[in-house]
Amino acid sequence: MDRPETVAELTGALHQGGYLADRGLATALFVAIRLHRPVLLEGEVGVGKTEVAKVLAAIFGRRLIRLQCYEGIDTSQALYEWDYARQMLHIRALSERQIADPDAVDKLFGPKFLLERPLLEAVRAGDRAVLLVDEVDRADDEFEAFLLEVLSDFQLSIPEIGTIKAESPPLVILTSNRTRELHDALKRRCLYHWIGYPPADREVEIVLLREPGVDEALTRKVVAAVHRLRELDLAKPPGVAETIDWVRMLSFLGQTDLDPAVAGDTLGAVVKERDDLDLVRESLADITAGA
Amino acid sequence: MPEHAPLVGLLVRFGRELRAAGLAVGSGDVITYAAALAELDPSDLADLYWAGRTTLVTKRDEIAAYDRVFRRFFLGAEDVVPEVLRHSAEAPAGTSQAVLVVPATDPASGEQQGEEALLGLMASDADALRHKAFAACTPAELAAVRRIMARIRLTPPRRRTRRTAPDRAGAALDLRRMVRESMRMHGEPAELYWRARQARLRPLILILDVSGSMADYSRNLLQFAYSAKRAAARVEVFCFGTRLTRVTRELDHRRPDDALAHAARTVFDWEGGTRIGGSLDSFVRQWGRRGLCRGGIVVICSDGLDRGDPAVLAAAMERLSRLSHRIVWMNPHKGTDRAFRPSTLGMMVAAPHVDLLLSGHDLSSLEELAALLPALG
Repeated sequence: MDRPETVAELTGALHQGGYLADRGLATALFVAIRLHRPVLLEGEVGVGKTEVAKVLAAIFGRRLIRLQCYEGIDTSQALYEWDYARQMLHIRALSERQIADPDAVDKLFGPKFLLERPLLEAVRAGDRAVLLVDEVDRADDEFEAFLLEVLSDFQLSIPEIGTIKAESPPLVILTSNRTRELHDALKRRCLYHWIGYPPADREVEIVLLREPGVDEALTRKVVAAVHRLRELDLAKPPGVAETIDWVRMLSFLGQTDLDPAVAGDTLGAVVKERDDLDLVRESLADITAGA
Repeated sequence: MPEHAPLVGLLVRFGRELRAAGLAVGSGDVITYAAALAELDPSDLADLYWAGRTTLVTKRDEIAAYDRVFRRFFLGAEDVVPEVLRHSAEAPAGTSQAVLVVPATDPASGEQQGEEALLGLMASDADALRHKAFAACTPAELAAVRRIMARIRLTPPRRRTRRTAPDRAGAALDLRRMVRESMRMHGEPAELYWRARQARLRPLILILDVSGSMADYSRNLLQFAYSAKRAAARVEVFCFGTRLTRVTRELDHRRPDDALAHAARTVFDWEGGTRIGGSLDSFVRQWGRRGLCRGGIVVICSDGLDRGDPAVLAAAMERLSRLSHRIVWMNPHKGTDRAFRPSTLGMMVAAPHVDLLLSGHDLSSLEELAALLPALG
């Protein structure tokens, strides 16, 4: 598919690709594709923010270019870097006469020695790529300001080479876990969508779509249990990814039912903090009781 | 597209309504909204709703306000529940009604000349004021204290970042620079250049008890939020009484008085009761867990008189100590007593996790905080 004509068409395509998007998310993505705007996805951990970019890349047959953000990320890791070691060796290998050649410098800072990093790659690939800027809240403010510049016109300038501009911009998905508030200017540039936990029925559908082989009755029980876990006062409530993991783990172990004993043995798939484990173990019977 | 003109007019009015409800909606956003609807079906309510939500809303907190305005504007539903009632309905049962009264920090504000005179008078008394407990100060003296405080430089400690900068004494080679220099020298191996990791100010998180008697002390500490911001540190401010509220955004207003008045409107339980454990617990859950205070200095200002379950406070403090770099507790009841032993249950429970216990009851102790803070790194 090249680009969707309606929201329903996009929802259908995402479904084909193994992703269940609700109306809000599908509308946000549809508008992003049609208007060539980046979309910022915020939400709890494990609700499929990163996944949606992967699926979009797959259904449109585009390349997924991922930029994982972290503290201290700078242009040399996000944009481009010169291959200094090779440059040095190259300089050493040049003869006296070659080095006096005015073209020597141009060659040294030519495409041969340029290491492309995700943002440059994405600008070069244009609409043949989906650019995923993952966990942008982990990067620091300086990087955010820089990102803003790139996202506003998909144009980069490398002093030695010149300006590179995407003919038609890539589809850009930014994700954030809200460890800090992003700058307003960056948000302004993007469409915004908050992904919450899905309702139980939908979560069952999601699990069955991702793990086609599993038992539906078991899935319902697990989803019901996870929803009860989310109601508990946990420090880290389980996301949809955890639900899928739990179902996968149970069916791998050949379980068809979720009773307190089995749940206790496999709790590590969903509850990942010690204090939470203690709390959950106390009320395991309630959590697993009936679907 | 002239046939769309009435729709555009409608969308612009909707944007204006949202702006009135406190959302930061610019003309550009409305244009994007209109452009999005041109791709969608404006007669479909779901498209109308979602297109607006994705183009006009930029924060999760704004979603509720957006929903309200959307319902009123497009569905004609007048919500009769005033904002205040809505809040009190959410507050746990049995909490006392809050009084939103903020005494002005600046009694002479508006009268420029009077203020000048006051400043001159008070400046000579600065030393006497230094050791006078805030509780014993007159409003005029308090205003003077705050002016003095505005001049105290509060700088959080630094930490090393992953970012590097050129540095003679660095540990890593600056290859980029070396290649450049080497070209300039016609390929001769140039000097060695180095880079080192930079230092950055740690974030400062103020968690202030604004209930009853603590409100005045907290207001003083709030001054520090500005001072630290001037030092270019990331500052987050939370207030609590019966529940926790984030007021960082409100503090963006330039004048402390305006900011406090604004914050008071946000903090519903200003000078209500105290539930330290519950408030710290919700801080840890909502903000700390997501990394807001990671590597930061948390300053809690409270007398430790907790009406909640001490076990909740203990668990929250333990969590907080693991999530943050250092915890400073300002307790005015400590006073100047060097051998102060916490007597309230809340303080006793919290004490093992507190790195530095100060009083904050007078100006000199606040200066002490400013002096000790940079060394907490």
